[in-house]
Amino acid sequence: MAASFVQRRRRQIMALGALACLLAAIFVQGRIERLKPGATAHPLLYLPSGKYLKVAALGFDGLLADLLYLWSIQFYGSYDIKDRYTYLERIYDQVITELDPHYLDPYLVGALIMTAEARNPEMALRLLDKAVNANPDQWLPAFEAGFLCYNDLHDYTRAASYFEKALRVPGVHPLVRRFYAEMYNRAGDKRTSLKEWLEIYQTSDDPYAHGIAWNHVHDLKVDVDIADLTSAVGRFRDREKRPPRHLQEILTAGLLPALPRDPEDRDYLYDPQTGAVRYGGGLVLGR
Amino acid sequence: MLARVNAIALNTFREAIRHRILYLLLVFAVVLISFAQILSLLTVGSEEKIIKDFGLATIDVFGVLTAVFIGIGLVSREIERRTVYTLLAKPIHRFEFVLGKYAGLALTLLVNTCVMTAWFFLVLLIKGMFDPRLGVAVLLLFFQFLLITALAVLFSCVSTPILASVMTLALYVVGHLLWSLDLLAKRLQTETGRILCRVLYYLLPNLGNFDIKGEIVHGLAVAPGRIVWATIYLLVYGCAILWTACAVFERKELQ
Amino acid sequence: MAVLDLLDIHKSYRSHLSIRKYWILRGLSLSIGEGEVFGFIGTNGAGKTTTIKLALGLIFPDQGSIRLFGEDASRVELRRRVGFLPENPYLYDYLTGEEFLDFHARLFGLDRITRRKRVKDLLERVGLGNRGYRQLRHYSKGMLQRIGLAQALINDPDLVVLDEPMSGLDPIGRREVRDIILDLKTRGRTVFFSTHILSDTEMICDRVGLLVKGALKAVGTIDELVSRDVPYWEVALQGVVNGKLPCGRIVSRREDRVLVRVDTQGDLHRLLSILNGHGARLVSVTPARQSLEDLFIREARAASVPTARLEEGHARQS
Repeated sequence: MAASFVQRRRRQIMALGALACLLAAIFVQGRIERLKPGATAHPLLYLPSGKYLKVAALGFDGLLADLLYLWSIQFYGSYDIKDRYTYLERIYDQVITELDPHYLDPYLVGALIMTAEARNPEMALRLLDKAVNANPDQWLPAFEAGFLCYNDLHDYTRAASYFEKALRVPGVHPLVRRFYAEMYNRAGDKRTSLKEWLEIYQTSDDPYAHGIAWNHVHDLKVDVDIADLTSAVGRFRDREKRPPRHLQEILTAGLLPALPRDPEDRDYLYDPQTGAVRYGGGLVLGR
Repeated sequence: MLARVNAIALNTFREAIRHRILYLLLVFAVVLISFAQILSLLTVGSEEKIIKDFGLATIDVFGVLTAVFIGIGLVSREIERRTVYTLLAKPIHRFEFVLGKYAGLALTLLVNTCVMTAWFFLVLLIKGMFDPRLGVAVLLLFFQFLLITALAVLFSCVSTPILASVMTLALYVVGHLLWSLDLLAKRLQTETGRILCRVLYYLLPNLGNFDIKGEIVHGLAVAPGRIVWATIYLLVYGCAILWTACAVFERKELQ
Repeated sequence: MAVLDLLDIHKSYRSHLSIRKYWILRGLSLSIGEGEVFGFIGTNGAGKTTTIKLALGLIFPDQGSIRLFGEDASRVELRRRVGFLPENPYLYDYLTGEEFLDFHARLFGLDRITRRKRVKDLLERVGLGNRGYRQLRHYSKGMLQRIGLAQALINDPDLVVLDEPMSGLDPIGRREVRDIILDLKTRGRTVFFSTHILSDTEMICDRVGLLVKGALKAVGTIDELVSRDVPYWEVALQGVVNGKLPCGRIVSRREDRVLVRVDTQGDLHRLLSILNGHGARLVSVTPARQSLEDLFIREARAASVPTARLEEGHARQS
């Protein structure tokens, strides 16, 4: 039986009413969007710490960490939210990484945000320390921490100690070894640096690494040799009250067990006038 | 006896397969696993963890939902709707009915889990993220489903469909929170409180035993002993639940 | 030997929320003999279904003993010889008629060949011969009742227990069920069924039991229960133009028909004998026997069951 006119009218009115209400709802939502409060009122910022969230997660800690992490990178990627770094450490240190201490991305990306955007490298290092402690089988967090010390803090000794931690992990990328060696150089300890670079040179079978090691060994050897020779010249001068006429004199004076030769197996050049020792060739890395 | 249990099991399986809810849940699961892929595009870092976490969580949740709703639907509703009268007037022991029902449900869950897992593995294979150890994680999840189904059968023998669903879901939640009960036991001041916590900890079903999702996704080692013990726990605790269900059903008045 | 023997059964139930006990059966004793068709009638809520469930071990008595074929009814093996059709059976509606019967047959451990034959025969017997392939969800109420009956007979039982087997059936269906019951009787089986429809009981039962509020008010053959004395006759006559009849009382009159009530057999003969003389024509003579219905209502009233509703119920059922 076809619907009567009255019935059809009624249904049309109801359909129109429904549509009108839906449009109104969309409009209202639009207004609500515009009223969105600032960053500090964002509900997810008030999450309980990960220890308690674990309870609510019912065994889905990993997934919850994933979702919160996804949210966090969207949040920290939106540049229009002001004061968004207030809870930065809380979110990464106490919530996400508490839920899943073995999930590396939050540590690394969190540290990146803390350093590059919030400009707080110490906070980043705290986070990375946590990563290192929780994941002794991973070398990347220690490396990142070392790199941070090197690049942002210019604290080469600290960087070296991080790189050393990374080196203890089996399967670490060979790059880390090279960084470690170079840190000593930057910190001023060329001798140890040379020793490390020499070992890399002798043990690496990758021709690329081999080549890089050679460059460093070359230049460091020059620096170290010149330093040794210069210090011997100084001791000679103190003793004999005059600079040596040529480097042989140092040898005869017994101030050095042997005269080092340069990487090209030539003698180092000596100027008796100034007492300066020089290298005849060019430094590969040109510093 | 086995023939009768078998007949009921197959009948239960047939009924479950023709139940629309099963397909609804399955479709949802498949959709969610596919959604994981889209979600993973939002990440900075490895997509793999997100897809794996999401996939395993989906299988976990939907397996539990299937276990509860199909389990309760097929047992509790049968008792409520009196289909069971004609069955029990036959020369069949009441416990055969309970066991037959459970076997049918277990078979249904097996098929269900296999379908979801197959889809999940397919997605992973296409993306080159497949890890056979995920199979072990799914196996333990399946053990969890078997335990929850046993609970569903027990509560169906005791109560109405709605109450039975609520009780089973409640025990699922509690089963995953037992570790906090353990922590609580250590913190409490009173002796009775501590003893109570310990007792509850051992009596309630410890579903955490079947949860190795985190370890597998992170590629950490799982001692084979854990798997063996989890299996034994399932067998022993599961038998305890089913035996209780049989005992309860033996003297149940079928109004 | 009694096929089913209930001795001093007490059954109560306690509702979930209160502590009060409600007694459904108090001291019920009943014995069904081999080969008899026993009709169990009673008011709504009298306890008929409860009695049946007790007999089948679906519920357990507070007190008293139940014996099937002479042995304790809780023995599961005894049910090999029993068939049961519950009231308003809910069946697996996703199964076809054949699958349904086959499933039940399997529970008896019948082999495939026997099963197939039995299923076919039974479907024929209950009048569903060509509808076995359809799913039960598409069956009408009458068809469901029939398939339920088929299921009760699948094992060729010695005792068939039926709870309201006629419910939901049209007169044709009811006739068929009656025929099946009589057929069972000729084969020497025992049938125990409960019903609201008293006329059916009168037609096929050997013995009848009347249950009112959990107590057996009357049990025995119909003749034993209902007196054969005829209290009065109602005579319908045509063509009695006017007036005076030698005996009897005019109960109603329409056009040229009258309904006359005479109280004794003597008066009846006298009335009939003058018919010839007066040119009136006899339409019918109906002895008003006391019926089972009268007994029913009388007992129900005595137990103060609200009978207005009773009679309403009867009008709907019959």
